[in-house]
Amino acid sequence: MKTRPRGTDGSLLSSLPWTLGALALSLVPHLPYLPIWITVAFFGCAAWRYIIEKQRRMLPSSWFRALLALICFLGVFGTYSSISGVGPGSALLAIMASLKLLETRKRRDQFVLLFISIFLVMSSLLREQYLWSLPYMLAAVTVIMTAWLRMSAGHRETAKQSFRTGGRLLLYAAPLAIAMWVFFPRLASPFWAVPVDTSRATSGLSETMSPGDISSLSMSNEVAFRVSFEGTVPEPRDRYWRGLVLTQFNGRTWSGREASMSARAHDQIAVSGNAISYEVTLEPTRQQWVFALDMPVTWSLPQTFMGPQQQLARSVPIDQRVAYRAVSYPDYRVEAELAAVFRDWYSRVPEGSNRRTAALAREMRAAADSDQAYIESVLQKFHEEEFFYTLEPPPLGSDPVDRFLFETRRGFCEHYASAFSVLMRGAGIPTRVVLGYQGGEINPLGGHLIVRQSDAHAWTEVWLQGVGWYRVDPTAAVAPDRIDYGAQDAAFEGLGEAWGLSAPSALLHKLSLTFDAINAKWNDWILGYGPDTQNSFMEWLGMKDPDWRKMMLTLIAVVVALVMVISLMLMLRYRAPARDRASVMYRRFVKKTGLELQTGETAEHFGQRVSAHGTLPQSAIDAITAAYLDSRYGPDAEASFVRLKTAVGAIA
Amino acid sequence: MQRGNTIEALRTNRDEQRLAIERARKALGSIILGKDDQISLALACLLARGHLLIEDLPGLGKTMLAQALARVLGLSFRRIQFTSDLLPADIIGVSIFRQDSGEFEFQPGPVFSQLILADEVNRATPKAQSALLEAMEEHQVSVDGETLKLPDPFFVVATQNPGDQIGTFPLPESQLDRFLMRVELGYPNEESERELIAGEDRRSMLRDIEAATNPEMLMALQESVTTVHVSDALVDYIQALVRHTRESAEIEIGLSPRGAQALVAAARARAFVENHSGAYPDDIQAVFAAIAGHRLKPAGGTRFRSPAELCQHVLDSVAIP
Repeated sequence: MKTRPRGTDGSLLSSLPWTLGALALSLVPHLPYLPIWITVAFFGCAAWRYIIEKQRRMLPSSWFRALLALICFLGVFGTYSSISGVGPGSALLAIMASLKLLETRKRRDQFVLLFISIFLVMSSLLREQYLWSLPYMLAAVTVIMTAWLRMSAGHRETAKQSFRTGGRLLLYAAPLAIAMWVFFPRLASPFWAVPVDTSRATSGLSETMSPGDISSLSMSNEVAFRVSFEGTVPEPRDRYWRGLVLTQFNGRTWSGREASMSARAHDQIAVSGNAISYEVTLEPTRQQWVFALDMPVTWSLPQTFMGPQQQLARSVPIDQRVAYRAVSYPDYRVEAELAAVFRDWYSRVPEGSNRRTAALAREMRAAADSDQAYIESVLQKFHEEEFFYTLEPPPLGSDPVDRFLFETRRGFCEHYASAFSVLMRGAGIPTRVVLGYQGGEINPLGGHLIVRQSDAHAWTEVWLQGVGWYRVDPTAAVAPDRIDYGAQDAAFEGLGEAWGLSAPSALLHKLSLTFDAINAKWNDWILGYGPDTQNSFMEWLGMKDPDWRKMMLTLIAVVVALVMVISLMLMLRYRAPARDRASVMYRRFVKKTGLELQTGETAEHFGQRVSAHGTLPQSAIDAITAAYLDSRYGPDAEASFVRLKTAVGAIA
Repeated sequence: MQRGNTIEALRTNRDEQRLAIERARKALGSIILGKDDQISLALACLLARGHLLIEDLPGLGKTMLAQALARVLGLSFRRIQFTSDLLPADIIGVSIFRQDSGEFEFQPGPVFSQLILADEVNRATPKAQSALLEAMEEHQVSVDGETLKLPDPFFVVATQNPGDQIGTFPLPESQLDRFLMRVELGYPNEESERELIAGEDRRSMLRDIEAATNPEMLMALQESVTTVHVSDALVDYIQALVRHTRESAEIEIGLSPRGAQALVAAARARAFVENHSGAYPDDIQAVFAAIAGHRLKPAGGTRFRSPAELCQHVLDSVAIP
């Protein structure tokens, strides 16, 4: 193996910090997702490389680098058990950039590093596309451009000048980028599928419910979805966002079935009253559930079906933000008739668990005249007896419902929904638990409703003969505020006192609402720019029957036009050296001689060289030289230009 | 008034001026052999009302050039040999108390001459040096609180021996700036040297030489020099050169605006001496090393061995507009 020189001479010292900075900036969006050892390795290599350059030491030997590369590769493979996908891919990129630093000796190596950093910046979009991603990427790319310019800059160019040039170059490129974004044909299915990072926890609802799960969700301010209503916005108490339905109880945990299509489910719904039309923009949940206001009848999301318990689901998990329109009727009836076998199934509780609850159910049912009266009396019990709504309930033991009803009496929606359902089922009334969201906050700036993870809720549906399934929210009996004002205020009532906290200040809240309004528009207009939006935008622009061919042609035309306009602008900005008539004439003479005018060569000196060349008569050379100097540097430019013209004309 | 009229008359007679300059060049060339470029520069320097610094080893004719200039231009000449014990009074003069009149009487020093040769200026103390440099700058001296004007025209031709290092006080950069030009003479070529060895003694030749001009005419010439045309294109060139000296990696300190002014003045004078219709880029290039050589501070670790090489590099890297 041929050994390559490894010494450094400090020549990269002026551009290296910029390259390191550009790399670090492009790596930052990946840091939360990368294992910590990669971050440490990157910054270690960066510092090491800088010290090598500063103290003009030797770069590590190629054997050592090869060893490091092998270790890092195994490290990535060990961490992810794979080398494909967004996670391992960006980890490998980061590691390669770190190791490339250790063999960066020349400008060419730095170019490679900057290419990697551009790639890293772009690949951060595979993970998340936040509102701030764009300004951050712009800033990062500007720094990369600056680093690029720093490499070729002479040392009279200051870093500030390079930075400005880099920014200007980006500015020239911006119209092209926008044109491409607008006109490049959007496909319904992307060219390539981005592998979903399965290591990430799902942020939606859990698929099962054992009281205690939702406490962490309640505190998360993350947006679950946003809704814009077409007409009036329903009252908070009517905003039940139906998600999944749990039908089975094993004494401890409520669970549902896999989402499956039910042809009958939709037919079972009978509606009356006014319809509510709205559009939901759902954040990715990586689950199948599609949320809609109770009770949805139509929805526009493709591949979405209604399950047997009137829950909406999409056949593929929601990995990207989706928007859909839906129509719901708050006034509805479901399945007025229920076969005995189903009635039985919906009121099944495991034998031998939660015995005290079962006894209480029998006792209370016997005291009531009807199922309806029984329901009332249970809600009455929750309302009047010492039950508390809290997000920090004590842990429940083996018979959680017994323990909750008779001992702790502290809990949140899940506890009440679970306890209520068990009481109902204990009395033979078919009951199921619905998980979804309740309430939401109207953003006064955007006019839309924000539903956050903290609005997650669990309620019940009971079936009564002749009425069908209808919603009963036992939490409302305990903490009406939770239903009327939202989870946050209700939670803060308990929490705030316990921790001595006050509600977030009004100003902060307003700021966050403003940010949310901008974010919603950003989602609608920028991130939501898909095939449909593009088509309607093209039609709005006047394109008839837009298809990808027409868009492609438009794109090419627009790009060519933009390049021409920008080039023209730059040409006009560039102050060309004044083309003096005399010097134009003199150039003609220079061309005739077949010699080149050297930088800094005077006309006299050039004349001597032409004489020595011997192609033109001495008298002509002298006449032209004298006339040119007189015309260009003498006081009487006009008359001597005529002489110059004649003299040059004579040799032509 | 008489004198004003003479200047007016002389200015109009360009041919006479041309002849005078030709005569002066010829006379100088007969004494200083094979140094036509330096003679041309020295003449241009004086015509541009500048002071001249000649820097070279001993015995190359520095003093001879200064004496010849005085003689040919018809100027009163004094020589001051700078030594380490030279006092300012030795240059400017002293006030002596006259017993008979009971008054102080000022005895003018050698500085009250039209052309002064300050020989080996770097051997005197900074105090003596600054007495001369102040006179050069102000064209006047202060004695006992009284300001005395120096004669007109007033030139200082200083010589400096770069070989001497011990016991010398090299002029600092700020004072070097007072000299419009710095020229180096260098060894004569073989032919000239043979003539010097075998031919007539230069000193006796100097005595026989006739003045080509007189002080009045010289002032008229100086006046004419300021009217030499400078075109926009030439100003562009000067600016490009100056900018290059400031931005070049080879140069730590570039030309100041005063340096640029000096460049224009010297180029005008050179154009006048060469009888050009205006100041040409060639004139700029001819005077550039003499003007910029002592004003530029090369960057550390430069690859150029002498100021002349550095100046040539600047000229070779700036395109003539």
